[in-house]
Order: sequence, then structure tokens, then C-alpha cells
Amino acid sequence: MNRRKFFEKSGAALACTSCVFGLPLLSSCSAREEDGSGPLAGRRWGMVIDLNRCADDCTACLDACRQENNVAYHEDERWDIHWIRRVNVSSEEHDDHSEKSVLLLCNHCDNPPCAQVCPVQATYKREDGIVVVDHHRCIGCRYCMIACPYNARYFNYLENPDWPNKDFPRRSHGVAESCTFCAHRLDQGRQPACVEACRATGNGALTHGDLNDSSSEVSRLVAEEPVKTIREDWGTAPKVYYLGL
Amino acid sequence: MSIQEKVSSLFRDNNRVAVLVFVLVIIAPFGYSVVRPVFTQGSSTDEVFLDIPDEGECVRETAYMRYHHMDLLKEVREDVIRNGIRGEISVNGCRECHTYRGQFCNQCHEAVTLHVDCFGCHYYPESPEDSVRLESGGHDE
Repeated sequence: MNRRKFFEKSGAALACTSCVFGLPLLSSCSAREEDGSGPLAGRRWGMVIDLNRCADDCTACLDACRQENNVAYHEDERWDIHWIRRVNVSSEEHDDHSEKSVLLLCNHCDNPPCAQVCPVQATYKREDGIVVVDHHRCIGCRYCMIACPYNARYFNYLENPDWPNKDFPRRSHGVAESCTFCAHRLDQGRQPACVEACRATGNGALTHGDLNDSSSEVSRLVAEEPVKTIREDWGTAPKVYYLGL
Repeated sequence: MSIQEKVSSLFRDNNRVAVLVFVLVIIAPFGYSVVRPVFTQGSSTDEVFLDIPDEGECVRETAYMRYHHMDLLKEVREDVIRNGIRGEISVNGCRECHTYRGQFCNQCHEAVTLHVDCFGCHYYPESPEDSVRLESGGHDE
């Protein structure tokens, strides 16, 4: 064997071995978590907000959310955090500029811009469609706040002084957060706190359920009623639907 | 001749001194940690190990929990946050037997100088009095 042959053969051998060991590695990287076989797969949580039944002066869902999720309230609008909030919207289409009170929360988009921009994949979409933040991983860069077209994201400039629900963590200072559809309650087979509170008031404006389950109340409303999502033209595909918007 | 010049000439003229000083500076911290237990008697980590609750059994055996509880918690964390699997193990679950972190977490973590940042977000009273303070709506830390 001359020198040229030796180099040719050793090169070929190296290529073969790297293929044998490298290909399984590559496939294991790409097949992570996205194969739809996880325990959350198959569900697609959504919410319908019936603004006709929502009372303007009612704060049941807002209070319930704060109590359940330890959402910080410092009585200073620079630092206050709202997972669900009430906003007065005036219509540009109508000349009378009539104001409408609308509940806004994280829309848990099917194409979440916040998750796309997160540089550390702290924000991500679970297999059941809920967009959540892994606060252990969040570095507090606030890209998600810039990306979210619904201004649903808030930053913890200060730690929450109160801790109403001891079984649920609060957030330390320096991480972003937003509504999680009460994922911890859904995992236990319960309804989100805001929905429960709304039902308790008798208004029943909030309905939450599985959009993939055709027998659920949410899918019936979405299919039969004239529901709207906010700015469908942005292509974010929100999963919070409004009636009477 | 100024001091600075003297020192620099010493190093220039006598390489051995320079090497000796360099080596001493490098090994001093290691040497200190080796020698320290001799001088600080009675602070061996064995004695700092935490109190074990009187009753019940932990989710894993003591030896594993002592050295690998953080790995277990990370595994559980991944399951809960990423996959939505909420099993029996949780920080809230720890609290049922290991009631106060002053007694069951801090003591050991201080001995090995490891800072835990679990409790900025996860509720875990530092002492019995702390629990009462928080129940009445006080501020933590």
C-alpha cells in the first residue's frame, strides 16, 4: 500500500464510522418532543368569552386569577402584572365611537410570536396548545414582551409582596410571565380559576374546554356562534374567541 | 535603588525565586482547603447533615436524596413544566415531612456554601414563626 492508498482508505473508514455513530444522534435531536406522542397530545385548549354576558363592573375573574396564580399587584401601573385584564376599546368602524369593555388575556396562539423569539426556549407551546414560560430558564430579556401583539406579557420588575396561594409558586424578580390557562389546574382535571369564578357569579361569560373534542361546549360555540378572535389577519391563530366583539 | 527595581532585579537575576513565588500563589488556596479541617475541628460535613423527620419514608432512600435530590427535582421539573405530568414528587410534597427549610435545607447548604434559589418562588417557610408571619399576609424576605 502506498501513501496515497493509505490516505484514501483511512478517509473512507473515517466517513463510514462517523455516519454509523452520527446518524442516530442526528435523528434523536430532531425527534424531540415534537412527535405528538406525549401525555398532553391530542388536546387543544381554547376559551370563548361572551362579552354580552360579561358585566362591565364585575371583577370576579380578575380577582380569582390573582388569588390563584399569585399575580403581583403593587398598586403602581409600572409594575403591576395582569394575566387577565379589562380594557375599554372604542370602535373605528362606527362613527359613534362607542366604547366596549373587553377582557384581554394571553391568546395562547397556535403560532405564538413570543415562543418564536425566545432565545432560550423558556417560552414554548405545550403539546396541548398552551403557551407557557419555564421560569427556571427565563433570562428576562423581554423579547417576548416586544413580540406579543396583544401585550399579554408582563415582566417582574419587583417580587410579589403577597403570596395568597402557597401551593403555587410566585415569580422571582427578573422573569416574564403571562396567563397559563391555569395549566396546573387543567393537568389535575379542573377548570381555570377565572372560568370557575365567572360561573360562580352566574354570568357564565367564560367557557373553557378542548377545541379538539367536538362534544365540548367550546367547540360547539366556535362552530355555531359568530365568534371572532382579535386581529385574525396577523396570522397568530389565537385560541381565545370572543362573542359580541 | 527603589523597592520596585529591587524586586524586579531579584526576579530577573534569580529565576528560582520567581518560580517558587508563582507556585506558592497557585497552590495556596488548595493547600488552605486541605489544611483547614485540621484547624477547624468539629465542622466535618458529616455532622452538618440534616435532621431526618421522625416518621414516614422519603420518595428515595436517604443516601440518594442526600447527594442527588437536585437531580431528582430537575427531572420532576422537566416532567411537570414541559410534559404536564404532575406526579407524587413536588417541592410542596417535601414540605409535608421536611417542614422548615432552616432545619432541612439551609443548614447543609450553608455548610457546603451552595446557594439555593428555589425559595424565591416556591413557598417553603424558614422557621415555624415564618409560616405564621406569611399566613397573616406579611412579606417574605
